[in-house]
Amino acid sequence: MKFVVTIGDTTERVEVSGEAGRYRLTIGTEVWEVDGRLTAQGIYSLLIGGVSYVADVWDEDGACVVDVGDERYVIRVEEETRFIIRTKGAGPGGHGALTLVAPLPGRIVHVAVKPGDRVEKGATLLVIEAMKMENEFKAGTAGTVAEVRVEAGQAVNGGDVLVVIR
Amino acid sequence: MSITKVLVANRGEIAVRVIRACREQGIASVAVFSEADREALHVLMADEAYPIGPPAPVESYLAIDKLVRVAKAAGADAVHPGYGFLAENAAFAEACAAAGLVFVGPPPQAIRALGDKTAARRIARGLGVPTVPGTFEPVAGDAVRAAARAIGYPLMIKATLGGGGKGMRAVHAEGELEAALGLARSEAAWAFGEGAVYLERLLAEPRHIEVQVLADAHGRVVHLGERECSIQRRHQKLVEESPSPFVDDAMRARLGEAACRIATAAGYVNAGTVEFLVDSDRNFYFLEMNTRLQVEHPVTEMVTGIDLVREQLRIAAGDALGFAQGDVTLRGTAIECRINAEDPFAGWMPSPGTITGLRAATGPWVRDDSGAYEGYTVPRFYDTLLAKLVVWGADRPAAIQRMTRALAEYKVVGIRTTIPVLAQIVRHEDFRAGRLSTGFLDRVMPTFAAAKDRARSIAVIAAVLAEYERLGHRMIVEASPPPSDAWRTGRHPGWRS
Repeated sequence: MKFVVTIGDTTERVEVSGEAGRYRLTIGTEVWEVDGRLTAQGIYSLLIGGVSYVADVWDEDGACVVDVGDERYVIRVEEETRFIIRTKGAGPGGHGALTLVAPLPGRIVHVAVKPGDRVEKGATLLVIEAMKMENEFKAGTAGTVAEVRVEAGQAVNGGDVLVVIR
Repeated sequence: MSITKVLVANRGEIAVRVIRACREQGIASVAVFSEADREALHVLMADEAYPIGPPAPVESYLAIDKLVRVAKAAGADAVHPGYGFLAENAAFAEACAAAGLVFVGPPPQAIRALGDKTAARRIARGLGVPTVPGTFEPVAGDAVRAAARAIGYPLMIKATLGGGGKGMRAVHAEGELEAALGLARSEAAWAFGEGAVYLERLLAEPRHIEVQVLADAHGRVVHLGERECSIQRRHQKLVEESPSPFVDDAMRARLGEAACRIATAAGYVNAGTVEFLVDSDRNFYFLEMNTRLQVEHPVTEMVTGIDLVREQLRIAAGDALGFAQGDVTLRGTAIECRINAEDPFAGWMPSPGTITGLRAATGPWVRDDSGAYEGYTVPRFYDTLLAKLVVWGADRPAAIQRMTRALAEYKVVGIRTTIPVLAQIVRHEDFRAGRLSTGFLDRVMPTFAAAKDRARSIAVIAAVLAEYERLGHRMIVEASPPPSDAWRTGRHPGWRS
């Protein structure tokens, strides 16, 4: 079975065969013989050439989060055909509007922008207090602030649209 | 008087900690829970548990009348507030007393005197204990600019009723003063119900070192040494240890003596913590006194052998301390790492959700003070602390090695936690060398990464196998669809260990 994995901006082709705990994976040109078991919920044991690895794997919004050693990877795994369909479907350039949505319920502590402001990538848009923490939200892309739908002091629910950048 | 049944007015790991201490002494425990916490560990562990309302803290864990009513109805004779919530609320202590309940903490007058940070600074000044240069009264209006000039920049604006890093703003030049003042005031008003602020000089990369004190109702005050809590982000601690690698016996004696004098002057009874900032020349400055049990109390317990919650309960019952200052010795080093439901690589964003897999660290000299379990859903309404991983070692290098080992064992699946960054902190050469300051984390965080590509291939293998098995499972059972999460709950025949 062929997959394409995406980590950040890079993609790699991976081929897998095998079953019942014994697998052969080809990543790029490298071949890996793996004894893999799910030992508890999402905790994988991998024996590779006698070396024992433990990796925590879970699904978050359609991507795999993998904790291994003291490293954390967010990996999107797709069947090769799905990957091809998805990437061919995407038009080149032009993201259209970029919408900042509240990931958690909380309270708006501070709004740093107003409609019409030019923002650079990484500029602070606003600050939300949730779970007793203040969380700063930054622009994922440069653009112009089209809408600011909240004000300081306001309570928001998870999923609420906060700021729209074009 | 004796205490036979304690209502624990808190949740999470600290409620579990208090319940454990009660059980070890044959004291019955009563838990309370909001609608979001019916399945929380403290509810499962207590002898009795009662609902106190909706998830929002103001309607449950901060609702004084409800807590007192439940305590009385359950026949409790004492209330332990834990930390946070109502732990430093004098009105709560008074309400308990008025209802005939023993408040396991200091007298209301001491909470009030020390809760006002400028009043606490005046107490320290009166005793000749050094304080951070700054104002000793709240500042407002035209006086702010003049006061700021007298102190000099950079400085900190702090909430008079502050705590937990709220209502604090650094100001580096006069031009920033006005805006920072407005933000600090509004934050303070929101968090503490009062917008009063005062000013302190901002020390350059100080250490945060605090002294644990215990005071009984018979006038005896002892200190249990210090905790180094310099590893912080946004004024919230992440890694703590005892003793501090920076403090020698002579300095410990001076810090301890200053802490005991402040506690005595404030009429303090029960467990409390006196916080100091320490500069690179070993000058120390009184910061504030916290009138409660601290999150990081276990490191003190591990090096002194003294159970602080047990002592709190004994002191509250009117018992005299069973030991004197000379009986307190610090042995080895203990380190605590806070495992929070946060993503350190995404600006410490909270990460509530269901813990689908959990394997806590165990083994020699490892302690896991946790409020979580496998299958537990971390609610969105409360702070992010899941568990405190504490280790002891015969010396500091041994403790660091043990913490490294324990963090590698600790597996949390389903939500993002601070574990990866904690592992990188304790491995960092500055941490190992004891070169600590409150600026440590801001300085080293940019050099930490979610992934350094050492384990990239292993991660890819794990992710691809998870997807491969998931797809394979679906293909086999198309005729009778299983629950969609079957692959994650270990029910796939080939994947059961």
